[in-house]
Amino acid sequence: MSAVRPSSDEVREWDDLARSASDRGDSAESFDEIHQLLCFEIAGAPYAVPVERVREIVRMRPVTPVPRTPEVVRGVISLRGEMIELIDLRRRLDLGSIEPSRRTRIIVVKTDDDEVVGLLVDAVREVLRVSDEAIQSATGSDTGAVSELCTFRDEFVSIIELDRLLALDA
Amino acid sequence: MATRGGRSRSGRKADQEFVSEAEEILERMREDYADLDDQRAAGGEVEPDLINRLFRSAHSLKALAGMFGLESIQDLAHHLEDILDGLRLGRVSLDSPLIGLIDEAIHTFANLLESVGDEEALAAFNEPVEDLANRIEASAKEASAGGELQSLEIDDALLRALTEYEEHRLRENIQRGRHIMLVVSTFEIMSFDEGLSELSDSIREFGEVISTLPAPGETPESQIRFSLLVASDLNVAELTEAFDFPDAEVESVREGGLAVEAIAEPSASEPAPQAPLASEQESLRSISETVRVDIHKLDELMILVGEFVIQRASIGEIAARLLAQPQNAKIGAELSKIHKSFDRKLKGIQSAVLEVRMVPMRQVFDKVSRVVRSLRRDLQKDVRLEVSGADTELDKLIVEELVDPLMHIVRNSIDHGIESVEERLAAGKAAQGCTKISAFQRGNHVVISVSDDGKGIDRAALLARAESLGLVSADTELSDRETLNLIFVPGLSTQVGVSETSGRGVGMDVVRENVAALGGAVEVESIPDRGTTISMTLPITLAIIQSLIVSVGEHRFAIPINAVHETLLIDTSEIQRSEGRKILNLRGDALLLRSLAEEFELGVSESSEKQFAVIVGLGEQRIGLLVDSLEGQQDTVIKPIQGPVKNMRGFSGATELGDQDAVLVVDIASLLEDALSRKESA
Repeated sequence: MSAVRPSSDEVREWDDLARSASDRGDSAESFDEIHQLLCFEIAGAPYAVPVERVREIVRMRPVTPVPRTPEVVRGVISLRGEMIELIDLRRRLDLGSIEPSRRTRIIVVKTDDDEVVGLLVDAVREVLRVSDEAIQSATGSDTGAVSELCTFRDEFVSIIELDRLLALDA
Repeated sequence: MATRGGRSRSGRKADQEFVSEAEEILERMREDYADLDDQRAAGGEVEPDLINRLFRSAHSLKALAGMFGLESIQDLAHHLEDILDGLRLGRVSLDSPLIGLIDEAIHTFANLLESVGDEEALAAFNEPVEDLANRIEASAKEASAGGELQSLEIDDALLRALTEYEEHRLRENIQRGRHIMLVVSTFEIMSFDEGLSELSDSIREFGEVISTLPAPGETPESQIRFSLLVASDLNVAELTEAFDFPDAEVESVREGGLAVEAIAEPSASEPAPQAPLASEQESLRSISETVRVDIHKLDELMILVGEFVIQRASIGEIAARLLAQPQNAKIGAELSKIHKSFDRKLKGIQSAVLEVRMVPMRQVFDKVSRVVRSLRRDLQKDVRLEVSGADTELDKLIVEELVDPLMHIVRNSIDHGIESVEERLAAGKAAQGCTKISAFQRGNHVVISVSDDGKGIDRAALLARAESLGLVSADTELSDRETLNLIFVPGLSTQVGVSETSGRGVGMDVVRENVAALGGAVEVESIPDRGTTISMTLPITLAIIQSLIVSVGEHRFAIPINAVHETLLIDTSEIQRSEGRKILNLRGDALLLRSLAEEFELGVSESSEKQFAVIVGLGEQRIGLLVDSLEGQQDTVIKPIQGPVKNMRGFSGATELGDQDAVLVVDIASLLEDALSRKESA
């Protein structure tokens, strides 16, 4: 049931991202600890989650709203027969809500209890390879979802703390 | 290195295989032994098949252990096989102390199985196993000493045709004073096996078929004659009368009555004949005819079938669309024909897959009986456990999930329900309490109930505790049912000192939660001083279910059809109100109505004059759900919803309809509960 089935466009997109990151081979080899992060965009700003938590990236699809759930839960999507909750990351980060566009993506991440959940993001950018050195604690977080920042090409990327992000009080 | 690692891995796998197969055999032996013990204790005759089954189990275990090179188990099984063989051939009496050794051997096997894979732990058992084997051997010698062969007053030619086992059965029946007869009948060669088994079956209603032998005599070439050696309490005339086989002749071999005073068994000094070949073959066959399957593989199969079912619906839709277009009607008709035949075959696959998953409740009930035995001892309560409906079948998955809730309810019943002997006598009841477990099918559901004749639930104590916890204010009036339902509130237990047995932490709230997760409901009834009944109503299968698709505004929901009693189109003017609650006069009864739009806060106004009421219910409870329209029935596979929001009250999962469209499945049990327990006006 959990086996990822043969590549759809979406799966290929994810593979390409991962490959181009390792091809770049950034100068990070000399450091002890290399982190791979999937970088995406919300309200024009970059955010990232560890790639090992990402199962796949899919395009927007029909969403069935679930009554009596917190606003951040956009609803349920059916992914090859699996029923998965979709979290609106914009709403979760208190950044309002927008209509889905061509660039809108759903990042399917693994939760800590062996399930998956979909995160709705404005767009997916690339996979980053960064060293420990590039990561620093966040300056504070209003929504409790960002714990660390990483610098990449003169830009601060907010690293999402998935387990805290997903601790929703229903 | 690599090869060694590989070998030990495959060794572990082999061990697992052995243990799981052996456990299955052992489980059967435990059940059969328990039955044997019961029948023996009841003083009646022990079913010969029971002993045969035990013998075959021991034989299978021996063969299995031999295959995996586990000598200690093989050796013990061999000794056990000896006792059982003696028992089935009548060489060992049922009153012999050897019977106790069977129980001991079964226990020892269980211990041995736990240590398989751990050489040291296994070695530690060598001595006790040897000791047990020696004791079996010693008592076997004692038990079989003495006895002499005497005439049975039966034709020698006939006797010679019998195997040792059959001869033993013959003696046994003569000893019990039964009439011995030969039933001779002629069959067509082409279909004699069917005719023969039909005849044997109808005779078995009145007696035992000891042996089936080809009968001599003139027959046309296409026919064959058989004679059945039969023992029955009926005599020739009565038997001929009783069973409906005009072609069969019945002749007496030996009149019943206890004419022969001492029919002794053959002595042990005679060389012990080989166990009959036929039964050996039978034992091997019975193993190979069943296949052990991992339940997850069945789940996968189920899911695939479920997906087929959904796709079949889309094919049907396409066919209908084509039929509606004049230029494509011909292709549409062809497709529709194929769709229909596909549909029929798919239904066949569906029910076959469902059937494979069904297991009798017996497995669970046997586990419960074992726990009750030890509970009786630990709590020092005199309780009798009565079980009925053990053959009722349920989906394996549901049965697994049911063990804990059922165990909890039974523990509660014995621990809290049944009083001490002194209390019972003082209340004018029989000293021995009784807890009954029963299972029966009601439509698409199975009802499993646990009832006792104990003191009933103490309402006052329950209320007092709810008040002290601030769950109920002192001035609220609760109906009797609402009071009883307090037992399902987390943290409430009437017994002040929670005992070891019923434990802490798991309460009736968890039971209700677990049962609800399976799409079922729990109900409680209790009469002071008379007893308590707790019933769980569960769907027979979770796999593919028919759902009614309803819509409210733009939202669609699936309602499991097994919870739907009827649907009505009603005029909104027919809806009456009481305290703001909507009520419908349904053939004289007041039916509570809930609007799904309000229930789920959908923000849809009910403007239309006509609405549909879907009458749903589980157990005895009913409510009507108001929806805008009905979209028809669909086969649905309910999937759990994955994600961080665990508590989606009101929904049991989601199902896919058409392409990528998720539809939420309404959890009727929780809606009923919310609607019927709400005290403030809606």
